[in-house]
Amino acid sequence: MIYTGQFLIIFSLLNNFISLLIFFYNLKTKSLLIEKIFLFLTRLNTLLIFLAFLFLMYLYIISDFRNINVFFNSHIDKPLIYKISGVWGNHEGSLLLWILIMSIYTFVFSFNRSLDNKTKNLTIFFQTTMILGFLVFMLLTSNPFIVNLSNISQGMGLNPILQDPALAIHPPLLYFGYVGYSLILSFALAGLINNKIEISWIKTAKKYSMFCWLMLTFGITAGSYWAYYELGWGGWWFWDPVENASLMPWLAGIALVHSLQIANNNTQIKKWVIFLSILCFSLSLFGTFLVRSGVLMSVHAFANDSYRGIFILIIFFIVTGFSFLIFLIKTNTIEKEPSVLVFNKFTALIINNIVMTIACFTVMLGTIYPILLETVTNERITVGAPYFNSTVVPIVLPGLLLMAIAPTLAWKNNKLNEKKSYLTIFLLIIFLLLATYMFSDQNLWGLIGISVGIWIIIASIIQLFKKNAKKQIRLYGGLISHIGVGILILGITISSIWQKEFIVNIEVGEEIIVNNYKLKFENLKESKDQNYVSLKSKFIISNKTNKIGEIEAEKRYYPVSKTVTTEAGILHQIQRDIYVVLGENLNNEWLIKVYFNPFISFIWIGAFIMAIGGFISLGRK
Amino acid sequence: MKNIFNKIPLLFTLFLFCVFLIFLLQDKNPAHPPSALLNKEIPRFQAEDLIKNNFIIDEKILYGKKTLINFFASWCSPCKVEHPMLIEISERHSDILLIGINHKDKKSDALNFLKIGNPYEHIAVDSEGSIAMNFGVFGLPETFITNEKGKIIFSHIGPITEKIYNEKIKNLL
Amino acid sequence: MKKLKIYSKIFIILFFFISEASAIQDTSIKKQSDEIAKMLKCMTCQNLTIYESDTEFSKQIKKEIYEQLKNGVSKNDVLEFMVQRYGEYMLLKPKLDIKNTLLWILPFVLIISSFLILLVKLRKN
Repeated sequence: MIYTGQFLIIFSLLNNFISLLIFFYNLKTKSLLIEKIFLFLTRLNTLLIFLAFLFLMYLYIISDFRNINVFFNSHIDKPLIYKISGVWGNHEGSLLLWILIMSIYTFVFSFNRSLDNKTKNLTIFFQTTMILGFLVFMLLTSNPFIVNLSNISQGMGLNPILQDPALAIHPPLLYFGYVGYSLILSFALAGLINNKIEISWIKTAKKYSMFCWLMLTFGITAGSYWAYYELGWGGWWFWDPVENASLMPWLAGIALVHSLQIANNNTQIKKWVIFLSILCFSLSLFGTFLVRSGVLMSVHAFANDSYRGIFILIIFFIVTGFSFLIFLIKTNTIEKEPSVLVFNKFTALIINNIVMTIACFTVMLGTIYPILLETVTNERITVGAPYFNSTVVPIVLPGLLLMAIAPTLAWKNNKLNEKKSYLTIFLLIIFLLLATYMFSDQNLWGLIGISVGIWIIIASIIQLFKKNAKKQIRLYGGLISHIGVGILILGITISSIWQKEFIVNIEVGEEIIVNNYKLKFENLKESKDQNYVSLKSKFIISNKTNKIGEIEAEKRYYPVSKTVTTEAGILHQIQRDIYVVLGENLNNEWLIKVYFNPFISFIWIGAFIMAIGGFISLGRK
Repeated sequence: MKNIFNKIPLLFTLFLFCVFLIFLLQDKNPAHPPSALLNKEIPRFQAEDLIKNNFIIDEKILYGKKTLINFFASWCSPCKVEHPMLIEISERHSDILLIGINHKDKKSDALNFLKIGNPYEHIAVDSEGSIAMNFGVFGLPETFITNEKGKIIFSHIGPITEKIYNEKIKNLL
Repeated sequence: MKKLKIYSKIFIILFFFISEASAIQDTSIKKQSDEIAKMLKCMTCQNLTIYESDTEFSKQIKKEIYEQLKNGVSKNDVLEFMVQRYGEYMLLKPKLDIKNTLLWILPFVLIISSFLILLVKLRKN
């Protein structure tokens, strides 16, 4: 019975292999019945993987430590919900989740009725091949179903940091984006080979790419928000290699979503669409390679292994190399339209694609440069946050400025009249920016960020009211997303540049003044929770006239893993967060860190509105 | 001109594959950067000897013969694990000078630690960690090897195992 | 209209370089010490700066930085002191030297040259 999972995986492997054979056989035979069998086997595969995944989850829930994966990553005292999320909180389990999500996308796609069968089947063929590759990888190097039949009553996996709601949902959300791009890659290859990149292809691609991008947005936001409240110094983005690995497909995904919106039958844009469709999943593959191979040290890289690394590298090379080879061969034969470039919507979109691609490339360059250098010169350097902030931000700037006026541009030619109002506002903002910088002490980048954010919001709102929203529903979602971006930029700029940090000593019962606020250390309570001992400190923060709120900062001691974690206390308000971290105590005095993060809520609000815009675009039709 | 752009993605993929394959095969540890002192001269230091009273050790001892310098402490468990290996090395290579640097430790604890055996000719007491800082040491144990001219020719972070001795150290000594 | 767009973009890139060069120097030793601590990587942590980290190692480094600044050592010399011992690996911002040329230059070369190519094509019409 305990071998059920193992059987299901092997069964799935065989099933996929037969599926591929049938596909090849049917290339000659072209029988409709065999096509139906092919689809059936595809859906059967999804069911098998799903059952295997449920079985692993079941083993976690009942704490069956005969399964080695459960033994290493779970514990009897873990709360149920974290036993469940523990399934994907490790390398082998998350790999199974990866394969499951690839299969789910294939399953859903198999019911598509708007496409021609040739393209549809070829897409499924490519998906099946990749799934097969990952199954082989899993069986050979990362099997979650290995069994040790001795009687073990307790597990080893009680890492307190992983026991958190945001972190629990972060991988599934992320994978629905990351891994979903596999379908888009397969779909692009199939369309390219069959010369079927046309209206029905574009319609289908639009939906999947928007959905993947949305999931990726949610996943990245969840991860950032978790880092913000968990890691204890108010940061939410560290340009850590694993973060970069998820950011790269997100940037490429933005370019893809925009390109698909105006693809139609324009050759230039089609090339971009195919290139970006391949790029997104290639970046996902490369990203997962970076994370699982152990080449880079990072906050949450999985336990590493060179053998696994080489295997994933080979998968990356075969999938990406093959795809770009087909891209090279096929796009050389596409007839070239005489390129007439005017400053219109197409040009704006191409600028956007260029900016996103180069930004993406810069993130990759920064992330892998230490490895490139060490391979050649044996010296090791660090490429940290300062590099990315100095390069990615200025590069993305032109794209952001363009974002505000791009939706108003015409398709064919440029009408100058409409643009006069935007030009005026733009010049006004530049003038105000220069004036403020000259006459005050404020940080230049702060001013630029605020100007860009406001520029985007105002311009987008104007367009929202100018265009009759009912007539131009296709722009509605996009404009709302852009407003979300503007808010996001305001949040990022203001909370980074004008953050204030105070390190103070305070006794229980004492009231001190911090940043013109009154902070009172109300009490300190010790208590015992499920698997940890907690020390909770309560603070009351008030301004000159009345109480603003209460903040509870906590320290937890987990006896099994002997670790101490700090849970920051945060008072969330729209205009700023007040963030308190409990430090060490000496005699009777406690060292605490108090952060004031102005308008940091705008980051989460902005991301949320971006996603809503995306949903609206997804919903129509 | 356009054709070049179409080739770039494929070529870049090939490039990434080659570089990373080479890197993976070199078996590096991302947590242990190569020492900044490799091929540089021994840093200056001065400290009391742990065992010989009123004896001051400085870097001049290290010139003239090959030396193995080992940073250790009684509170460091990997140091305990590698200690027998160090004793073996001192026996196999009697012409090598073995120096221990006792890092941020209590004298009594260190002497206790050495009860299982003392492979070192001299032991410098680095109670504040200033010698470690001059050597760029941030984690224990760390081991350096210098040549007769006082140049650092090898460094290793982590315990010296049989494997590491056979692969990297034996030939240098 | 097009010209203005291009000029303003160049403007912005110039501002970036200017602002980097004229970053406000804070004179108090504690502030300088914090600045330096934020430029160095904690060698015993996963992706933290010396400033953010509370490990034994970081505390020792912070103390050393403060002592040196108090003794009149310049900011650059303090950084050089750390790099000599712990390597360039400890610097969060890669040095602007020959081996890092590709790293620093390539992104800007790419974006400026793509815009120039685009401009040329726009001009043709």
